[in-house]
Amino acid sequence: MIRTSFTDISLKVWAVIVFGFLFAPIAIIIFYSFNEGRLLVSWNEFGLGSFATIVTKPAITNAVLVSIQTGIIASLIATLLGTMAGVALARRAGKWAPWFLGLLILVTVTPEIVDAVSLLPWMVFLGQDVGLSVFNDGIVRLVVGHSLFSTAVVAYIVRSRLIGIDEKLEEAAADLYAPPFRRFTQITLPLVMPAVLAGGLLSFTLSLDNTIVSAFVQVSGTTPWPVYVLSAVRSGLRPEIAAVSTIMLLLTLGALALVAFVLRRAGDSATDIAKTVGGG
Amino acid sequence: MSHETPIRILASTSATKIIKSELNRRRFLALTGTAAGVALLSACSPQAGAGSSPQATGGALESGLSIYSWGDYDDPDLVAQFSSDLGPTLTFDSFASNEELISKLIAARGTSGYDIVVPTGPFIPQMIENGLLSKLNLDLIPNIADMDPAFMGRDWDPNNEYSICKAWGTTGYVYDKTKISRELTTWADFIDAAQNEASGKTSVLDDPSPLLGIYYWANGIDWNTTDPANLDAAEAFLTKELAPHISAFDSYPGGAAIPQAQQILMQSWNGDARIGIMESDEPDRWQWVLGSPDTELWMDNWAIAEGATNPEAAHAFINYVLAPDASLRELDYIGYHTGGAGIENAARSAELTMLDLVFFNAEQVKTMHTGKLTEAQQRIVKIWDMTKAAAAGA
Amino acid sequence: MPLHSRSHQKKYARPPRRVKLPSFFLAIPAWAWLFAFFVAPVALVVWFSFGYKPGIFGTHANDVLSLDRYAEALSPTFFATFQNTLWVGVAGTLICLAISIPFAYWLAFKAPVSRRGVLLAMVMIPFWTNFLVRTIGWQIILAPNGLLSNGLQSIGLLDSPLEILFTRTAVLIGLVYNYIPLMILPMFVAFDRVSLPMREASKDLGAGRWSTFINVTLPLAKPGIIVGILLVYIPLMGDYITATVLGGAKGNMAGQMVANQFQTAQNWALGSAMAVVLVLTILTTVVIAALVSWLATWPVRARQRLVLGGTS
Repeated sequence: MIRTSFTDISLKVWAVIVFGFLFAPIAIIIFYSFNEGRLLVSWNEFGLGSFATIVTKPAITNAVLVSIQTGIIASLIATLLGTMAGVALARRAGKWAPWFLGLLILVTVTPEIVDAVSLLPWMVFLGQDVGLSVFNDGIVRLVVGHSLFSTAVVAYIVRSRLIGIDEKLEEAAADLYAPPFRRFTQITLPLVMPAVLAGGLLSFTLSLDNTIVSAFVQVSGTTPWPVYVLSAVRSGLRPEIAAVSTIMLLLTLGALALVAFVLRRAGDSATDIAKTVGGG
Repeated sequence: MSHETPIRILASTSATKIIKSELNRRRFLALTGTAAGVALLSACSPQAGAGSSPQATGGALESGLSIYSWGDYDDPDLVAQFSSDLGPTLTFDSFASNEELISKLIAARGTSGYDIVVPTGPFIPQMIENGLLSKLNLDLIPNIADMDPAFMGRDWDPNNEYSICKAWGTTGYVYDKTKISRELTTWADFIDAAQNEASGKTSVLDDPSPLLGIYYWANGIDWNTTDPANLDAAEAFLTKELAPHISAFDSYPGGAAIPQAQQILMQSWNGDARIGIMESDEPDRWQWVLGSPDTELWMDNWAIAEGATNPEAAHAFINYVLAPDASLRELDYIGYHTGGAGIENAARSAELTMLDLVFFNAEQVKTMHTGKLTEAQQRIVKIWDMTKAAAAGA
Repeated sequence: MPLHSRSHQKKYARPPRRVKLPSFFLAIPAWAWLFAFFVAPVALVVWFSFGYKPGIFGTHANDVLSLDRYAEALSPTFFATFQNTLWVGVAGTLICLAISIPFAYWLAFKAPVSRRGVLLAMVMIPFWTNFLVRTIGWQIILAPNGLLSNGLQSIGLLDSPLEILFTRTAVLIGLVYNYIPLMILPMFVAFDRVSLPMREASKDLGAGRWSTFINVTLPLAKPGIIVGILLVYIPLMGDYITATVLGGAKGNMAGQMVANQFQTAQNWALGSAMAVVLVLTILTTVVIAALVSWLATWPVRARQRLVLGGTS
């Protein structure tokens, strides 16, 4: 018989409390998405009306589409840049490495509001004064704003993962006359794939949720979802907002399940996956 | 036909030269930018239009229309009907303050992509001065005849060449009758209640001018004053005597604060208070008070941005919305007086509720004063910032 | 006749010489991207902070350089806001620590191994809902006529409606909630690194549970704990939306001030100065905290220092 000590029980109770804390507002939002009233915060009656309203409000569907579009592009860019940088940091760290690492740390350490207020005048400068009209495009602006922090995060995750893996595999490939590019795509990349996927997923999440930078740099016609919610708060949130959040939650849960399934098939255990996401 | 309001700037002698050159440069850039934009437009469109003469001449409507307005400020069903009746698809974008609107337009220099913008009255003269608005072609807006003359020709645009009233409202406050048993009627009562029964459960508008207005209206001072002594007094009062009792800066208490009973005393605009009370579970708990002895009259206006790419559709939309039945639907949705003639009767016969928060008699309207943009604006914004900081520290 | 003719040599020639790429080659795109869109804009902001606001509709001008904006930003009323932000930032981080350490410990050592992936995913799930919507969820829970209030009143723990909204407490609840997954994840990874054999060895040598935790587990998990602290403290200091929605006036944080200057006041010069002060404040506090903890553990480390080889 295994004696469960007092510590074990109290730790378990604590875990349950923390989970309750984490899910309380989510449960409330899901519940209130079935509110038939005009205002989200005052419960009227149960119904599916708010889900129907989503379809009739093009502003909402546009905002969600813009967010998803931006999220995909931004996470692709961040993953690409971050992976290459992470591999370079892990494998070819030279005198430049501390400086680059310092830059990454600087990006992580800067609060979002500073990012936002610096990007806006810069974009206006590039788009207007320098004449690079591509920076007047809403999606371009959002993608640039979202990709900064994500690049640093992906670089860090990939570097951590690769440092833990022996370089011998790649050296063996080199001994066998594999050209560097082949070495990269057939040996290095598959080794860090969990980290790359985790980084990509994290970038997508961060981009979907990015509020402050988006609020500052966005342009007419391409309003991302968080900025729509922010402006809706001022005029009284309606239940449609909760309905959209519920739907997005289900979609992202589905995506997460898919990724986990793919990784499981590739042979990674659940803990390994978690560790790469955590920067293990 | 002069709507040229001279810009007055109070500055030290050394800074004057710099400011002058900066303003001139900025104006020059703005004008060349808009001139270039307009030249480009006129090269594309068959009609020649230079500077600020109307660009729309009753031609075919374009397929799109972009409106930059306050959030959720139009009846969605009405908008959808406009699209199905006349064709153009609408995109809406919202801003949170007039300053945001203006700086976006200035930064874009005519390429903002917005057609219709909705500025508040006092800011319009400066917008015209800086070439941000284009003249309206009133021939394309015959429904302007349905507007009540009392709300046309205000001092920021005496001949409605650039703007037409969209909605006007006033400022007052709402209080919880279950927590405050005495009757409150004036701004002095508001201050008194904020310092006593409602201390720590008071919210004020998140807007610099009405915040200082509380002090000015309670003390019989013209709220457009630029006298430094008045500004100092307002600053001292707000930061030391009112800020410690303020718990929130909320411009839309009707959206959540009133239905959720978050505060006991809330400064608010009339339409917003009306919606909040209507949506509350206990409407009888709340009492609306029109600010007295003086208060504000603010007016949001339809205007067309300089460099608009869909001027025909813009004029058509404004004309559509000014029609009496459309005007009534807008009133019903946003809860504010849309300036139409005879709309009060229409609203009463349509049996809309709580109309004493929408329509006011002549005596009440006399106590409402429009705001002016003065050289004290920066100081006013600073006092607002300081009040917020003081309220946080308490 | 030579044994190895030229043609013979050619057959067994070495692989063709490749152009040697510099070691940082792969990092160049990321470097360029970050430089163009992070370093340059921030440098621009620092440049703006030395300027001024020219008139009502001008946003910034740099013809006259001065440190006046910094003097304005550090004026007593605004300084109070920085203090407020610091208090909330530190308190929020400490609360996150207090909540995460037992939770991460449980997850790393006590939770069934097969379930760990699911449990970790469950920690991340709240992050999949929009940040503002999560905060509104808390507003509904904490409302005076909301569930928590009614529930506590019916149990009898509360006499009158819950008065938590628009207080510092509500701000802390919201902030802790929004950033706690960022601390749990690195902390879990850090604890996971402390392998079971290590802890068992400690137990075999006679150390009690608590002693093992303090002397073995915590020090080994220190890097991850530090990552978690930084990942929470820094965004917390810059966040203002959560604070405003739940805290109202009491939620006036430095980030809100900076945003105000750029949006309502249209005074980019002052806003830039405030932004720079905010970043400097954050960096200073981190450095101070690191110094303090380094100094504080000096006597402990001195005591535990092991000298091999004996003194003679």
